[in-house]
Amino acid sequence: MRALLLLALGCLTSIASLARPVSYAGGWTVIGESDRQSSSALVHYTPSPTMSLGLKTEVNRDSDFALYSVHPTFLAKRWFGADYQGNLYFHGGIGVASGISDNDGSDQMAIYGGVMADWETRSVFVGYRNRYLEAGNYASQFMQVFRAGFAPYEGDSGDLHTWLMLEIDHRPSDPDSVTATPLVRLFKGPLLVEAGYNLTVNQPLLNFTYRF
Amino acid sequence: MNLLIKTIVITTALCLCLCATAQEHHDHENHATPDVHEHHDRNHDGADSGPATHAGHGASDGPILARTQDIDSALAQGGEPIVADVLGVVCDFCALAMNKIFSKREEVAAIYVDLDTKALNLVLVPGASMSDQTIADLAVQAGYRIADVRRGDEALGTAT
Repeated sequence: MRALLLLALGCLTSIASLARPVSYAGGWTVIGESDRQSSSALVHYTPSPTMSLGLKTEVNRDSDFALYSVHPTFLAKRWFGADYQGNLYFHGGIGVASGISDNDGSDQMAIYGGVMADWETRSVFVGYRNRYLEAGNYASQFMQVFRAGFAPYEGDSGDLHTWLMLEIDHRPSDPDSVTATPLVRLFKGPLLVEAGYNLTVNQPLLNFTYRF
Repeated sequence: MNLLIKTIVITTALCLCLCATAQEHHDHENHATPDVHEHHDRNHDGADSGPATHAGHGASDGPILARTQDIDSALAQGGEPIVADVLGVVCDFCALAMNKIFSKREEVAAIYVDLDTKALNLVLVPGASMSDQTIADLAVQAGYRIADVRRGDEALGTAT
């Protein structure tokens, strides 16, 4: 039953890790991600404008395990300009990995960490994210994602913002180690939604972020 | 043993990140307002009954107050207009953050973040004041930085 609930959660949610992983002081954010390998949900609170602390659930569909973790993200550096913003983040987490579906493995300690960076103007975006995960007998995985995109028009406050992006991900432990996913990002007020399709392994990508 | 070593490495990296972040936050606090200039012009104009418009440019450099219904209404009640140039405001989440932080302040009667001009537009409640330093500090809480602040006639573009 727990596995079914987790899988349902994973199918409905996804994590837009490349979209402002630290909010304003006092802000809450709900983020979801579903990519070719895993689905996850993250709720985080931002006590200061340089860090957020969240709880994350991630379902790895390939290896049949779920990860439950505390997930801090630190804004190490933000570059400001009149027309641009650049960010360097460190993210990580520590928790428990448990088998799901037909995987009856015991609970294992899990720990992960990585770097995120992005640079954007109102019409151009480039971003990078990586992560190394050590989850006992379940997984020792490295992954990295590069994303670039552009906005066909510049929306103002409260308008619908539209971005067209291409995501390239690299997972050395997978048979298809490098894949490409074109996606659309729609952004309005507190809600960001992304939908794409992985052309290499024929899997959908669905992400959302809601900030309040 | 392999897991233990990797755990130690990742934990150490996280601790280093914490230290770096704390230092960065300290730096932000010390340099929150490098380019902010104090203005003490408390005069302001009456309300504009026209439709909501983006800010133009006044006699000084930088955009003048953007007009929305809320801003016009607050101006009509005699609130002080303020326009602050914000660095790094490039998306709706940035505008949302500024709105959330500034709207909590009881001194603020109306707010509009204009992404086109990268300007924070404020009108204070009549009789209230907000220093440039407070505006800069609040912008830091939102995750951004203020480059300049204009008030009164200068904010309205009516300064001579």
